[in-house]
Amino acid sequence: MFKFALVAAVGIAATWALPANAAGFPEKNIDFIIPFGPGGGFDRTVRIISPALEKTLPNKVEVVPKNVPGAGGAKGLATVFRAKPDGHTIAIANMPGAAIPAITGEPTEYEVDKFTWIARLATEEYMLAVPAKSSIRTIEDLQKLGRPLKVPSTDFGSTAYAASEIFGQVLKFSMQHLVGYKGTNDYIVAVIRGDGEAAVAPVATLKQFIQSGDMRAIFTTEEKSSVEGVKSIGELGYKELVGLGVERFVVGPPGMPAETVKILSDSLMKAIASPEAQAHADKEGFAPQPADKAKVSADQTLALYSKYKSALIKK
Amino acid sequence: MLESTLAALQVMFTLSGAFFLFAGVVVGLIFGIVPGIGGTTAIALLMPLTLGMDPRNAMMLMGGIMGAVSAGGSITSILINTPGGAPNAATCFDGYPMAQQGKAGAAIGAAAAASTLGGLFGIILLIAIIPVLKQVVLLFGPPEFFMLALMGLAAVALSTGGQFLRGLIAGGIGLMLSFVGYSGVSGTVRFTGGSEYLWDGISLIPALTGMFAITEMIALSIVGGTISKDATTTRVTGVMEGVWACFKYWKTLLQGSAIGTVIGAIPGLGGTVAAFLSYTAAMQISKSPETFGRGNIEGVIGPEAANNSKDGGSLIPTLAFGIPGSAEMAVFLGVLVLIGVEPGPMLLIQNEGVVFSLIIALSASCIIATVITLLVTRPLAMITLVDVHIVAPAVIAVSLVGVYALQNSFGDVVMAVLFGILGYVMMRFGFPRITLVIALVLGELAERSYHQSLRMADGDWTVFFTRTTSFVLLLLTVACLLWPAVQTLRRRAGLSKRAV
Repeated sequence: MFKFALVAAVGIAATWALPANAAGFPEKNIDFIIPFGPGGGFDRTVRIISPALEKTLPNKVEVVPKNVPGAGGAKGLATVFRAKPDGHTIAIANMPGAAIPAITGEPTEYEVDKFTWIARLATEEYMLAVPAKSSIRTIEDLQKLGRPLKVPSTDFGSTAYAASEIFGQVLKFSMQHLVGYKGTNDYIVAVIRGDGEAAVAPVATLKQFIQSGDMRAIFTTEEKSSVEGVKSIGELGYKELVGLGVERFVVGPPGMPAETVKILSDSLMKAIASPEAQAHADKEGFAPQPADKAKVSADQTLALYSKYKSALIKK
Repeated sequence: MLESTLAALQVMFTLSGAFFLFAGVVVGLIFGIVPGIGGTTAIALLMPLTLGMDPRNAMMLMGGIMGAVSAGGSITSILINTPGGAPNAATCFDGYPMAQQGKAGAAIGAAAAASTLGGLFGIILLIAIIPVLKQVVLLFGPPEFFMLALMGLAAVALSTGGQFLRGLIAGGIGLMLSFVGYSGVSGTVRFTGGSEYLWDGISLIPALTGMFAITEMIALSIVGGTISKDATTTRVTGVMEGVWACFKYWKTLLQGSAIGTVIGAIPGLGGTVAAFLSYTAAMQISKSPETFGRGNIEGVIGPEAANNSKDGGSLIPTLAFGIPGSAEMAVFLGVLVLIGVEPGPMLLIQNEGVVFSLIIALSASCIIATVITLLVTRPLAMITLVDVHIVAPAVIAVSLVGVYALQNSFGDVVMAVLFGILGYVMMRFGFPRITLVIALVLGELAERSYHQSLRMADGDWTVFFTRTTSFVLLLLTVACLLWPAVQTLRRRAGLSKRAV
């Protein structure tokens, strides 16, 4: 009797220990980690997608958004990196944000190139804008300034900081960074107030300040500018800067089984196409890509920013 | 504007509108009372619920929470020296000593009335300046932030309770602690000893919970007895007396409300800074500053007026530019997006109805929360008559669970305990805790804004004097520092005249 119980127990334990059967995925609730606090853009994207994802996954489980803020996003990404690669822990990550520490050689507890790339959700291109009453009107004005342009941002190594440095290198103007602002709107207002002279921020955010008459756009990095009367950087002759922006990806721990990735990727694509997610489409900048293409995009972004490594290293 | 206000009032008087408002108030009070978690957590937790909700009902819910949280938080600050949230910490300084003297009823009455009146003041001011919102926000840049921080730090010198040197030492320690973590200005990580937990610095809520709640419970357990030392007042009375005190000390009330609104309007400061600045300001205009920290009701009115009026104030930058004026507002911006309203400079123009629903809900919440608080004061205040050997373990357990719940971080629990022990050591050796706390709250702001100011001015330090707002704030700071000396001189002059 005892022997039987032992065998049964070992048997049960063995089935338990077997790698999660991918065909049965998902078996339990999925933790969707947001490496930032509630209320920001990443948080918003995850909270819009999660209910839709619950409906498109093959099994009925809950998708639970979890904020793991800290260390500029590194804490949440490290949490996913260390999680079991069974697909029940995934995270939203931004490129180049997640990669910048690696490019500049700062220590992190995750390796960005080892993540499993599940999908791309959205992209946001950048805009460079100045206060409405500024005398700067064109890229030539920036180049002829004769002194560093003051550009406020949140932090060294933030994506907007990186983008403005790359603008400076390619368009050949020098700049001085004012860091320490609490968020994108905060540093845009700092420019309106006169702390700095120009703001680099996602098009969707800056557009409102253009509409309200507080700011004036110089260019956007979109393929074709979505703001009336503003030229895109490609139209101005700087093709290499087209598409420079932030991309939002869904990543998982290294070594996830291919079937699990496929189920998640397909379900995410369907979730984005669902009407409830599409209701937010214009503000979210959805540009979905399944796993294979997402990996290519992430690698491209990594390569692009690595090319400007010298610009990103803190001076 | 009038039309939107009326429309919002109509929503409030519908069944669903009233339900969500009331639900918000109850949630806000509960989250306010439980130490650690506060309005930010409440809004973040309820955020998914608002997805797809009617925007106006969502505003009723959110306004209800925001208006009620600090009223709830003041109750535990007063009764058991356990701030319900960081903005209520300043209320501990005098609210708790009042409870020890058996005057818990008066303290809660004063706190509740000050919260309501302060909250309404903030909202009225907000409505009054709606036409010039943008200009008001643009008045304050980094040099002004630095001057405000300096003003608060200068108050350290006045809050040492006669222990000047020890006060300065404690303030110095507070400043050093505030510099722990990643510094955005220099891009370096400082004093973390390689710990990932300390990357984001010492978070205020565990530190304050430790310094107040845990320190006090350690001290109480050693002494024994009950919190209220006045056993004759087994009946909690004096609630109305507390309410009237708000009108008696109307200057303190108005000053606190004004400070709260202004600080609320400045992004990145929030209710905690507002409450502490208001506390030190109340001390400066008081006729008996020496009784602060020993149960002066003015020390309750000042911070409570400020931490509620900041809600109206923090709507100012939110409406003008979509920048959160406080942590609650930061999460609230996320709620706006979920219900399909884009925060930013176009918010007031495109969504006036939603904005006014929030304003109406906030005003109503201030009043409802106070009424509920006053109704439950008597049973709650009985806790001060229970043996501390029963109270202390319960308070410590609830505080630590609250601290843990904030970010699900065990590091926060350890931090709270360490600060509890530090606080007890300071208490035992006569070092004032208030100066450490003020420095800890303001240190980061002072440093960051100082560096930003110098960078934007290309290293020219006259930037602090050449900007009008900054210069006015500097003059105010100097006046505050000199005022006690002037008063002493006048008193002496008066005495010598009489002597002649």
